[in-house]
This record gives sequence, structure tokens and C-alpha cells, in this order.
Amino acid sequence: MPVIEVDHLTKEYRLGALQSFKQTLLNTGRRLIGKPVAERPLFKALDDVSFSIEQGEVVGIIGHNGAGKSTLLKMLARISTPTSGSVKVNGRIAPLIEVGAGFVPDFTGRENVYLNGAILGMSRTEIDRKFDEIVDFAEMAEFIDTPVKRYSSGMQVKLAFAVATSVESEILIVDEVLAVGDIGFQRKCLSRMEGMINSGGRTVLIVGHNIRQLERICTRMLLLKHGRLDSDDQPGKVSKRFLDETTLHPEHGEKNAGLNPNVATGDIEVESIQILSNETVEGTPLCRLFADLQIQIRLKVLHTQSNVEINFGLHNPEMVFMTKSSTSLVEKEVPLSAGTYVVDITIPKLSLCPGTYGIGLAIYDWMRRPLWAGNRLGWLALESPAGIHPLLPQSTLTYLPTDWIVTQSNTLANPIAETTSSS
Amino acid sequence: MTGLIRNLFQYRELVCVLAWKNVTLRYKQAYLGIAWAILKPVTLMLIFTLVKTFVGIESGDVPYPILVFAALMPWTFFQESASEGVSSVVSNTALIKKIYFPREIFPLTSVLTKLVELCISIFILAGLMLWYGMVPTAHIVWAPLIIGYTILASLTIAFVGAAINVYYRDVGQALPVVLSLLMYASPVIYPLQLVKDKLLLQQAAGEWSNALYTFYTLNPLAGIIDAFQNVVLRGLPPDFGAMVPGAILIAVLLPLSYLYFKRAESYFADVI
Repeated sequence: MPVIEVDHLTKEYRLGALQSFKQTLLNTGRRLIGKPVAERPLFKALDDVSFSIEQGEVVGIIGHNGAGKSTLLKMLARISTPTSGSVKVNGRIAPLIEVGAGFVPDFTGRENVYLNGAILGMSRTEIDRKFDEIVDFAEMAEFIDTPVKRYSSGMQVKLAFAVATSVESEILIVDEVLAVGDIGFQRKCLSRMEGMINSGGRTVLIVGHNIRQLERICTRMLLLKHGRLDSDDQPGKVSKRFLDETTLHPEHGEKNAGLNPNVATGDIEVESIQILSNETVEGTPLCRLFADLQIQIRLKVLHTQSNVEINFGLHNPEMVFMTKSSTSLVEKEVPLSAGTYVVDITIPKLSLCPGTYGIGLAIYDWMRRPLWAGNRLGWLALESPAGIHPLLPQSTLTYLPTDWIVTQSNTLANPIAETTSSS
Repeated sequence: MTGLIRNLFQYRELVCVLAWKNVTLRYKQAYLGIAWAILKPVTLMLIFTLVKTFVGIESGDVPYPILVFAALMPWTFFQESASEGVSSVVSNTALIKKIYFPREIFPLTSVLTKLVELCISIFILAGLMLWYGMVPTAHIVWAPLIIGYTILASLTIAFVGAAINVYYRDVGQALPVVLSLLMYASPVIYPLQLVKDKLLLQQAAGEWSNALYTFYTLNPLAGIIDAFQNVVLRGLPPDFGAMVPGAILIAVLLPLSYLYFKRAESYFADVI
């Protein structure tokens, strides 16, 4: 039996401000005498969404801003009611819609733990039992009797997270709370979340923008797009689809056809960066995993440079550079006198994870002062050759180009069981 | 209505914790702490006693200050729990938008908070009775029931008011004005006996007198205040005649008020 069943769920909001009392009265009067009423336009935050979740699944919900993720969580947590369709939930829900909801600044940490625990549905004895563990996890023993208004925001969030995650429930709903505290605490949170997920078959729903993190903890992913359920599949597939889409059809109108450098002193101009590929997907050059990637850059040097360093790199849609290379590694000196140049770069056996990548390029002079530099100078789509994809291990950013040799070094005298191996 | 009682039982700890929060929060960082709770009834008592020296108000055989204090106790409790109840949902916007529990928790918590403050007043009342050498009779067992009835009267206003207040904040603005007017229509400054004598004995409004008295007692506070004074100070049983019209009104309106609240509840998070 599914733990959560969402059936043709639709939620509409009226755009614009709430009507005044006078307007409401007037409209009621108009309706009574059968005259048309000026209705405010409707906005579909969720549009006919259906899915069901079994016990123990860890489901990530992703999508761009305003796709309906939080609205969906609100429906599941019963905070808001659907316009049409239904939501069925079997089990106790602990909603972490936002950690620290209901924290009172004037109360001490201790008082807030009890208050927040009660709000999240814990009994007093339950909180008593877990109190030390909560304080311990939040690293707050020293400050627990200080009013929360004197805490730093990081301290507040740490305490709130510790309380919220100690609720015992069958279903856990999490909205963007993994990004709390410093790196050390984030790692701690993540391992606590993973611990909660792995023990006791809890069902977890997580909304977030940290796609890689979600990919790691989830067993399934839902992609919402303008209120509709766009895809519902394995985390790797859905996140790739989402990232590819946001790169190829950016929501924020930054589709960058031109070369927009961050730095350009005017000494060198980059005229074009071309990916030499025969295939394209939706206008973006397509490359294959483990195939050679060839890139051609055309430069115009206006002022002669005695020695330059050219750096080339590939970054993912989240602007993290996956890999870089530099001329300083291979050549002793690259002198450029005024004129035009063609730079050919070959990357043998490209072994990045399938997805979309942006090109970054930087040119420095002999003092290592930047002459020309920029990111997102072009995009390339990387796909695995047909047939290989199901064999690739998931949840990684790059693949090691590996040679494997498996040799038998000895034989067991009494094999425990016959093992068959395919040759 | 059974849903209300079941929820109340299931979420009793939360109601208590939230009430504890309200009480503690209000007097946190205040040197005098919860003693402030008695400030309002005591000040009003002093003012009314002062006024009484200019305008003669017949208070029977009970000293006027204690009579007016005993009236102010249920009145202040009613007034404050109703108005706090009405604003309770809106003032908890952060919780409403983030987490679910039955929304009637908020008005209920407000009433419970004010009940705690009422208990503080009881000590003052006991002190006054000691001062005037008054001894309560067995009829004092009615007092908790009368307070219980006052709770129902406050909730009648709190539920419907809180729900409408989410859509139109006008309610929160208008209620204090309406309630302060209602105080003059309730036997706070003057005893109910005065109204009773005027209308029922002297028939001051002619043939309308009896109807007018029934209309006056339709205000549940008329019966409540008089009954509270009777059982605590006068050593008499409650005057049920003065309570019936108000009680019928509450019995009809409370379920309606609660149903309206429950119907509006599911849109609180969207509208608030």
C-alpha cells in the first residue's frame, strides 16, 4: 500500500490582492441579480499532478523557482488544501517545511527546544528523553540557557535542525533545510539525514536546489515544471534532464550566443570558440563519452605579447569547473606577435559524466595578469554512446578511464560453492 | 463539535505549551513579571470606586470595591480572551504557513492563557474578601462552572472572529471598540439588581419593560457577572432567570461559530 498517494492534484491561486469588503459585497450582489462579476485571473501552482510513493522511498523534488515544489509539500503536510484532486497520506508526518518555525527570540535555547518540539508534535517525555542528544548535536551545550535572540543565525539554524530531525515519524518532509550551518555542520546534517533515511524504512520527501546532494540521497526524483509533473524517474536521469534543460533553455534569459568575457583588456580578442563536432542536439554541439573532443579557438592579437598562458576548462551548469588545462603545462613559452591565430585543443577520451558543460577560457600575459577571461563561452552536450548508459555507475561527476585486469592468483582447495562467470 | 473535544485531548500538550509560551513571553524581561496581569482589574476597580463617590450607585450590602472587582474578573477574562482569540490566528502567521495542527488550537490557547491570568486575580479577590471580613459559602462551588460558561462565551466570539480576521483585519480593529461598549451594557459598574429593579419592579419602560430585560440578559455577561458575584460574595445561588437567554444564545451560536471556523480553516495558509 502506498504511503503517499497524490491523485490529479491541482492548486489554483487568484492573482492580485484580496478584494476589499465593499468589493466582495458588490460582487455578491451582482451574482444574486445574475450579472457577470469581474474575476481575478487564476494561477495554477500545481496542475494535475499524480504520483504515489511507497514506504521507504526517498524522493527528491526538483524544479525551477515557482514550479510548485513548496506548494506540493504544503498540500502533503496539510497546511493548504487542494483546489481539486486528492492527497492521501498514511502515517505521521514530520514537516520540516522550514526549520525554526515558531522559534521565539525571547526564549532561551532550552525553552525553544521544548516549544518547537511540541509544535512538531513531540510529547514532553519524548523531548526530555532526547534533550541531551539534541543539544549535543547542535553543539549548543554552552549557550542553551541564553535567549535565542542573542544567537548567531547559524546557531539558531543548527538548534532548529537538531530539534526538527529528532521527531520520530514515518514520513519526513524536508524543504531546503540541508543548506544550514558551515561546511562541517552541513556534512553532519547530511550524514544525519542519511542515517534517518537508511534506518527504519522512513519515507522522505526532499525539496532542494542542490541537485548533486539530492542525487546522492534520493532513490527517486520528481521534476516539476510550471506546476506539472515533468518526469518521475531515477535521480540521475531526472537531474540530468533538469540541468540540461536549464542550460539549453535558461529561465533567466541568459542564453549566451556571444562571447561575453569577464575580463578583456583589449590586447587580445577571442574571435570564436568552436567545438568541432558533427552532431548537435537542439543547436548545441554533441560529444560522446570517451570520444576525443576537439575545440578550435581563433584569436586576434592586437599588441604583441612576449609570452602568454592560455587556460581552458569545462564547467557544469552549476558553474563548478570539472577540469582545466593550461599551456604552461605543455609548452615552455607561447610568444604572440600581433596577428591572428588558430588554437587547436584536443582532449582525448573525454570522461566527464553525461550532461551539459560550459566552456571557460582565460589568457594571461607573462606577468600572469589576465588579458582575456570568461565562463559560459559556449556549451556542449555530452552523451554516452548508445548501449553504454545502463552500464555506467551513477552518482559521479567524472569517469576514470581505467584499464581493468582481473587475474586469478591461486585456487581454493575446497570451493564453498560453484560460482559461474561469463567469459 | 466532537472533533473539537477529540482534538483538544490529542493536542492537550501543545495547547499547554503554547499557553505557557504566551504567559511567559508576556512577562519576560519584566521585573514585576506576572504581577502585571492584575494591573488592569485593580486600576479599573480603583477608578470605578472613585467615580462611585460622585455618582451614587446602590451596591446592596456588599462593599462597592469588592463588588466591582468581582465583576471585573469575569469581564476582563471574557474581554481579553475574546480579543486575543480573534487575533490569535493572524498573529501566528509564521506557524500557520509552516506547519499543520488543528487551527482551533490558537483561539483555545488564547483562552487558556487568559485563564492563567484570571487565577492570579483570584488571589487579589481573596485578599479583598479577607480585608472586608467576608466568608464564602458552599455556593462557591458554582464559580468554576460559571468560569467554564464564560470560556464558551469567549470562544463563540473568538472562533468566528479569528476566521473572519484572516480575510478582513477590520474585525481585529473593531472588536476592542465593540467590547468596551459592551462593558457598559454589562453589570460591571452597576449591579444587575439595579437593572432588574428598574425594569421588572418599577416597569420603567412601560409595557416593553419585560422584553427589554430579556434583551438585556441576552448578553451572556449579564448573567455571568451577576452569578459570579452571587456565589462568591453574596452567598446566594446563581440567578438562573438572568442566565437563560444568554445561555440559549451561546448554545446556538457556539456550534455555528466553530463550524464556520473549521470551514474557513483550510484556506488560512493561502489567504493570511
